[in-house]
Amino acid sequence: MFVNSMSVNQMIYDFAVWLDTHSPSTALHESFYMYNWIESTHVLALMISLGMLFLIDLRMLGLALPDIPASTLAQRLSLPMLAGFGVMFVTGLMLFYAIPVRTSQSLWFRIKIILLIAAAINAWLFHRRLRAAGADWDTMRKAPRPLQWGAGLSLLFWALIVICGRLIAYDWFDCRTSPIEPIASVAGCLIDQAQF
Amino acid sequence: MSALAKYYYPRSLAVIALLGAGLWLALGETRLVWWSALLPLFEWMESTVFGVIGQTWGAAFATVQAIHLLGMALLGGSVVVADGRLLGLLLTDSPASEVQDQCHRLFIWALFLTIATGIFMACGVAIKIYYLNVFWYKMLALSGGVAFVYGIRRPLLRQGLDSIHPRIVKLVAVASLMLWFTVAATGRWIGFSG
Repeated sequence: MFVNSMSVNQMIYDFAVWLDTHSPSTALHESFYMYNWIESTHVLALMISLGMLFLIDLRMLGLALPDIPASTLAQRLSLPMLAGFGVMFVTGLMLFYAIPVRTSQSLWFRIKIILLIAAAINAWLFHRRLRAAGADWDTMRKAPRPLQWGAGLSLLFWALIVICGRLIAYDWFDCRTSPIEPIASVAGCLIDQAQF
Repeated sequence: MSALAKYYYPRSLAVIALLGAGLWLALGETRLVWWSALLPLFEWMESTVFGVIGQTWGAAFATVQAIHLLGMALLGGSVVVADGRLLGLLLTDSPASEVQDQCHRLFIWALFLTIATGIFMACGVAIKIYYLNVFWYKMLALSGGVAFVYGIRRPLLRQGLDSIHPRIVKLVAVASLMLWFTVAATGRWIGFSG
């Protein structure tokens, strides 16, 4: 069902249109090199942040670096991982700022945001469990079962986040293509909205 | 003279000379000869099952692209941790040789995943990438990276870090990081070209 009243989708749309009126947003969108540099930095930072995260998660599952104490690995790789995530976050905001309306009404972008929130909650729970688990298991090949679940979910969430991120580039369900319900509602398409 | 200096340094220099010669051939006029000869291969690639799927089913192509990215993330992680250890920046409280060996195992899986998905993607847009300079730069960087790992890095580090001059170790790590960064950056740039 198309949303016609002042709703969350309308507010998101109005905010995105307001961002779109900013001249730096237009300049960023229309600058071939600047936009591509930012997007490249966003993707290359993935090699640092997700690379470190995958190593930690695979270690918990007993699939990588089994001879290195798990908590030591998690502790030592956290800093470069967070630095990579920081770069990804800043460049991600800039990419959104460059194309706010289309991105905010992208089905894939919305799924990606939900998955990012799920991944963040999972990471918080994982670190809580890591602290609570003590150090008895540190040199064992596999982490305790709750930590393995956390690592497995983390791998799943991030794989889906990357897939959704990649799919944002495709216009299959863009509002201007008049997608069917319920995709149109989930994407936040509005009746008679201006197309960007 | 140690066995290392007698055998591995000349071997490393030979691989570097080979890479230099490859670069000279690739960037010189000779490239036009083999470039023309490779056109039928790229035309055939587009007609394969992978090529047809890649061209007609956008969702499959996009998903494989994402898996390619995940492979690159794993490859990046293994390279950064292994080289970070050589530079004395990461996992300094773990034995360097252990970190190198275990990261190399992950590197092999990641390299296999990126090459397999890369071939699928290349089949879908074979003619397009054939005419893109940046695609050939990426292939050069990738070949250089693999030659570097198996021709220089692995044989040299297998001798034990204690027997290698620390500056050589750091040089190897920096060269490795630069090579794989170039592979990733040129790969990303293919998406913006053509």
